[in-house]
Amino acid sequence: MILEKIIYGNVTGFDLLETVVFLIIAILIARVVVIYLRRSLKDRMSRDIMEIVIKVIYYTIIVIAVLFVLRRLGIELSGLLVAGGIIGIVIGFATQSIVGNLVSGLFLMIERPIKIGDQVNIDGTSGFVEDIHTVSTIIRTYEGLYVRIPNEKVFTNKITNYVVNTARRFEYVVGIRYSDDADEAIEIIKDLIEEHPIALKSPSATVFVDNLGNNAVNIIVRIWAPPTEWYDLKMEMLWNIKKGLEENGIEIAFPQRTVWFANELHK
Amino acid sequence: MKESGIFGLHDVPLRIVYEGISFSIEKDRGGLLYKRKCMDEEVENIFLSSNSKVLINPIEPLNMPKELTPYLLIEFEKSIFIEPMTNKKIFITFPVEIGIFVHGKKEYQIIDVLTLAKQKFTLYGSIKNGVICKYWKSGVYSTMPDINPIYEGGIELSMRNTTMRWVEVTKAVFNAYGMKIYYSDDMVSMNANMKILSKKIAEIGFVGSRLEKGMKRSLELYISRKIPMIATKFLMEEGI
Repeated sequence: MILEKIIYGNVTGFDLLETVVFLIIAILIARVVVIYLRRSLKDRMSRDIMEIVIKVIYYTIIVIAVLFVLRRLGIELSGLLVAGGIIGIVIGFATQSIVGNLVSGLFLMIERPIKIGDQVNIDGTSGFVEDIHTVSTIIRTYEGLYVRIPNEKVFTNKITNYVVNTARRFEYVVGIRYSDDADEAIEIIKDLIEEHPIALKSPSATVFVDNLGNNAVNIIVRIWAPPTEWYDLKMEMLWNIKKGLEENGIEIAFPQRTVWFANELHK
Repeated sequence: MKESGIFGLHDVPLRIVYEGISFSIEKDRGGLLYKRKCMDEEVENIFLSSNSKVLINPIEPLNMPKELTPYLLIEFEKSIFIEPMTNKKIFITFPVEIGIFVHGKKEYQIIDVLTLAKQKFTLYGSIKNGVICKYWKSGVYSTMPDINPIYEGGIELSMRNTTMRWVEVTKAVFNAYGMKIYYSDDMVSMNANMKILSKKIAEIGFVGSRLEKGMKRSLELYISRKIPMIATKFLMEEGI
């Protein structure tokens, strides 16, 4: 029977079939463990740490299964390493860019300038880090596009991580009329910032007259917010300030020019 | 102290109107219809449950207006100076958030969180190494202050200065994963320890003990999510 036929050494076709079945079972077990872990850890730890834990456990199960299978097939690991070394050199030359990406991926995982879930800009691509694989990093742009960036490019390009620090500042320039009271405007703006829960108490917001412009007294408003919330707050606060000022009789100035005539106009 | 009477296990139908909070839970087409009005915000939900019990109790004050952090920073209105190698006890207040749970098949499910307390966030520490915290400003008292349990709870804070110097304390940061909240009709309380390790470092943890007999333990949200690797204490390393 074909399964009893010796393939090499003492290994029969049946042994090979058994090995394949064993590996499939190991992969299935690893996947079930991953699904279970993903469900149970989802609410309990941040996504980036969860993904690392899951990947470590998944690959540990697979590696243990492969090592077990190799021993069953009578393959010595020392011999495999020698053969692997030679093959590795050949493959290395043939797949330089892949190896470069792989090494860059390892350095990214060690240095960790970005984490899964972070909002970043890598070489002009802005969005959320969806996943960091060994050879590539996946970005979901703010427009919802899937962008795969090779890790070598990620590693060698400028990375801007918008959320790595605990707080982020944004600012507005609010121009009010010269006839309005700037002190009152500053107080109104400070009160509005104090009322908003997401605008951080510390570092405190700064509101001051920055310059006397051509058409307006320009007030600078600088507000600190948690990095995940700053954009929503930025959109909300500007309109709050505009409404708050207008409710108190202070208006946003618009460009205007006073024209004086040398001679009185005739009616 | 004011008696709220809203905390505890209630039967459905339930209608509560109290201090700016108004909500009702009624049986409706085989389920429960929940309606709530609090601080100009209205919520209406349907829960497919045949159960008729609703639990209302104070929960960790870190869910409103949105859950951004598990840390609560309480700034003291006046600085406290504590002498070397002593234990002192103070009372401070914290904002109360009210959790409404529906009970079904031996499981409690949170259906709403509401609060009448002021909401504000702050940063503890530096922009690089600090943490975002829910912010609250509290007076410092030698006994439990007279507070309305719908708005505020009280923390009995045992402070231990283990250093050989006088230490100034202006704030305390608490970790929600360790909070143990107790309540009665007239009080919401927690019991915490602050171990001062140096002029700028202190460790804060909670103690599971009632301030008064008869107080009930709250069903907290963070405790149920806790896994062994998450710390329950907070180490204030960026100044006290």
